[in-house]
Parts: sequence; structure tokens; C-alpha cells
Amino acid sequence: MSNLPLAGQTSAVAVVKAASYSKDLADAMMRGILECELDVAGKTVLLKPNFVEFDPNTCINTDVAVVATALEVFRSLGAADVKIGEGPGHRRDTLAIAELTRYRSEIPNFDDVFVDLNRDDVTAVNGFAGRDQFYFPNTVLGADLIVSLAKMKTHHWAGATLSMKNYFGLVPGSIYGWPKNELHYIGIDTAIVELTKAFGSKSFAMVDGIVGMEGNGPIQGTRKQAGVLVMGSDLAAVDATCCRIMGIDPARVGYLQRAADILGVTEESRIEQRGEAIAGLRTNFELIKEFSQLRLA
Amino acid sequence: MAGLIPDPKSYLGARLAVLRRTQNSDGGWGYFAGKSSWLEPTAYAALALAGEPAADRAWKLLSSWQLPDGSWKPAAEVQVSSWGTSLCATIAMVRNEWGQPLQSGVKWMVGSCGVESNWLNVAAARLRLVKQERDISLKCWPWKPGNSGWVEPTVHALVALKQASAKISSSELRSRVQMGEAQLMDVRSRDGGWNYGSPAALGVDLPSYPETTGLALVALQGRDDLSNDLGKAFDLARRQMGETPSPMARAWLTIAMRLHGVKAEELKGDPQTDLMITGIEALAAPEGNYHVMQAVHAGGTA
Repeated sequence: MSNLPLAGQTSAVAVVKAASYSKDLADAMMRGILECELDVAGKTVLLKPNFVEFDPNTCINTDVAVVATALEVFRSLGAADVKIGEGPGHRRDTLAIAELTRYRSEIPNFDDVFVDLNRDDVTAVNGFAGRDQFYFPNTVLGADLIVSLAKMKTHHWAGATLSMKNYFGLVPGSIYGWPKNELHYIGIDTAIVELTKAFGSKSFAMVDGIVGMEGNGPIQGTRKQAGVLVMGSDLAAVDATCCRIMGIDPARVGYLQRAADILGVTEESRIEQRGEAIAGLRTNFELIKEFSQLRLA
Repeated sequence: MAGLIPDPKSYLGARLAVLRRTQNSDGGWGYFAGKSSWLEPTAYAALALAGEPAADRAWKLLSSWQLPDGSWKPAAEVQVSSWGTSLCATIAMVRNEWGQPLQSGVKWMVGSCGVESNWLNVAAARLRLVKQERDISLKCWPWKPGNSGWVEPTVHALVALKQASAKISSSELRSRVQMGEAQLMDVRSRDGGWNYGSPAALGVDLPSYPETTGLALVALQGRDDLSNDLGKAFDLARRQMGETPSPMARAWLTIAMRLHGVKAEELKGDPQTDLMITGIEALAAPEGNYHVMQAVHAGGTA
């Protein structure tokens, strides 16, 4: 057996069917959270959706219904405080993007619960990606639990963007710019792994795969209905499961290869599937030709 | 604004009142009220309030953030050189302070460029070993050292260096301004505007954004030779003004129109909780200090 830290261990991942962004979403979300035995009581929770950018013709962002419902669900589970935080990668006016994505209009008191992670106050941490000092928002560092409310999408540089890649939005633009080019120079796969290493242990993933994005994601792809929410405390296991649903082989996705058995479990046989079995849920997401080799056999 | 007090209920007056009310005790502004001071909101507020004691206090704080290499850091606790050096240089020139702090800031800016333009990358691109969506031999400015160049930091560097060229004569400075302007034209999106800095990704066109279109037009002041070309950008800018929900974008588009002598629509609405945007909006008002962004290269058209 390998001597990697997580070799031989198992992780739980809940897959819950959700055909649409309807009012039954809260039930679906609650079922998944309970299946994963997540304890939220008394914790300060940061919901991290993806609204990196906006295009009305496609579905770049975590749907507003998922974010609004998660806010209510985590409050109802006894969280001490629930905030929503994002640091969009491309656009400077975060609240304008929140308006375009309907977050501001459809999430009650959005401005009061939202933190712009690009422009929050920051604290330096040592050792991130080999840097002496790297700065993260105080809201991120202070949260007891970060919920990666990611969108299920293909990605033209990383293969797929799911709960781990979603953490690019934790990095403050006020220091690292728009886009967060520092992460590109660290290396996209390395940065994804480092962010998971830094925050994975206090994370829960909830991937919005009700309608995802295929093709030239994460910005210019097209809608693809997968009809699922995928949840779990092991981000790598959740992302590996999402990949299998998308018809992508997680063993060929660079950052999942590197996270396997160090930061999480990616092997199918060691992921305790709760809720729906994924066999009947697989729906191949179209891949750009540069990533055609990722297709799951 | 010294000597003129706008009606506190006016677009400008309401914003200046917010800025005066939210200044931190250290002289700076946070991005939001009650938060720590950062260079960017402090710089825009200081420019909007130029001539007032509040702006003097802000400059005193910013002056203390200059690093030994001439650059400015973005906040008291953040030990990283920042693109905001350009904004501090602009403030120094608005204050008519042409001494050593400005000189060393200008020197740092002239020496700063995106890492994509290092000789190895340029050689690889020339040999077609790496496909580039833009001409990386044209140097521009990054958000921080060690990263690629992007539109917004390039715009502010161009504004500051063009202003500096009025009194600082240097062939290197002139060359960087000319190259920076050429770079902006090179990364223009196919729709006539600008996004954060790449006209395409993997060969697919990327659309422009209103805020960066406004910013790029600010940097291209004084380029009469481009007037036909920029006409398309102003047509787009007018459409973007009507469509964008972003007050920041509308403010930059308006500042660009005013500086180019293009008729701008009246700005409306209450001030934002976002103090950086409040500062930019105050600059954009008809009677605001948008002229602090006026920048025509002393050497004339490039």
C-alpha cells in the first residue's frame, strides 16, 4: 500500500438529483448535507459561489437559487453566522456582477451578508505555494467552514472547474490583480492544490450541476444539464465524482492526480457514494480538442 | 475643489460628503467604510478632494507607504510593490511635488513591465514556439511585479508617465509611453473596446468590458492620429453607458468622454457603499476633478 497520508481511506460524497432550480432545492440540499453528516451548529460559515464573470447567453455562475437556498439551509442548521463571499477574477465592480447574476435582487439583504473577497482586509500567511508571504482575506481566514458552491464546468486550461478550482476566488485582487495572474505563474494545477491544502480541511463542497457548462468553459462554453447537486467534505472526492458524472476521467485531470491520497480520495472504489448512484447520471460534457484525452472510458 | 463647495445634494456634493465622513483616522480610506486604509480608495478620494485638508492627510499617509525601490505598497501591512504607484505619482504631480519621491516612483514605473515581455518569451514568440494572442514585444504594466501586463495598470502608468513627461525628459520614458499606447491598441477587442487585457483566449474572441474601455480611452488622450479609430470605441462606450449596471464603469466612461471632449450623459444616483467607486464617481462629475487624469505626452503624438 502507498504511504501517502490518505492511502486506504474512504470519503463520503452525496449525489442528489435536482431537475431544476425549483423550490424543492432546499430539500435536496438538506438531504445531501445530512448524508455527509456535516456539523454546522455554532460555526461561522462562508458560502463561496462562482461569479467570476457574467454572460447572459450562457451559465458561468453558480445559480442564484443555489446560493439563496444554501444561505437559508445553513442558517437553519444552526450556523452562528453565514456570509457569502467571492472575489471575481475578471471584473472590478463586484456588486455590478452580483446585480447581473441576480444575486443582489433575489438574495434578501444581499449587501449585508456579502463580502467582496477581492477587497477585504487581509493577513499574510507563510508557506503558500512556497511563498514567504501570501495574503488572504480575513473573512476567509476567520471562517470556521467554507462552502465551495461551485459550478460544474469544463475549463480550457484545467480540464474541469469544480469545488477546488472555485477557490481561485479566495485570492484578493487588491494585491494580485484581475485576473489573478499570480496563480497562473504559480501554475494552475499547483495553485488549485495549494488552495485546497490551505483551506480544504475546513471546507464543504456543494457543486451546482443542475445546469453546468460544457465545451469552452469556464466562460465561453454552453449550457449542459446534469440535474445534480454533488456534496461532501472531501473536495477532491467531490470533484472526482463530478468528473465521472461529466464523462471525464479524474485520473487524467492534473490537479486531481496531484491531490489524490494527499488531500483527498479520488479513486471510485474508495468513495462512499451516498444518495444517487452515479452510474445512471453520467452525461458526457463536450470537451475542447485540447482535452479530448480526458474522456472517461 | 478648493474654494468651491458643491451643493451637498448634488451628484458631486453627495459623494464628497460621503468621502469626508468616511476618512479613517490614519488619513486613508478603506474600500468600504470602517475597513482598513488601502492605497486605491485613498488615492481616488485624495484626487477627488484635492486642495482640501482631507487630501493632505491622505497624502501624508500614502507618502509613508513608499518603498525604498520607489514603488508604493497597496496597504500598510502588505509588503508588495503595487501598480498603485502610478496613482501616487499622479497625486504628487497634482500637488506639484516633483521631488525625489516622484522621481523614484517614475523611475520604478519606467523599469516595470509584464514578465511576458522578457527576452526569452519574446524570442519564443518570434520563433513561433509559443502561440500568443497579442504582441508581447510591446511592454505594458502588471498589477504587481512578476506578473503579466494588463489594461488597467497600463492605463494608470500611461497617465502618470505622460503627466511626468511635462517636466521629466527621458528617452526611456518616452519610449515606454509610445510602446504602452501601441500595446493598448494591440490588445483591443474586436468589438472596438477593451477587456482586462486579452482580445482572445485559445483563438476565441473575448468581448470588451465598459470599465476597461473607459480606462483605455483615458490613457489614449492626445492621440489625434487615432481619432477615427477611437470613434468606434466611443460608439461602443455610449452603448455600454446605457447597458452597464456598474457605476464604476459609467464613471470611467464619463471621465474618458470628458477628457476627449465627447459629450457625456449626466450621471445620476445615490453614492455607493463602495468608497473606491464613490471616489471615481466624484472625479467623473461635470464639476469634479476629472482633469487630474488629463495626460498628453509632452513629446506630442507618438
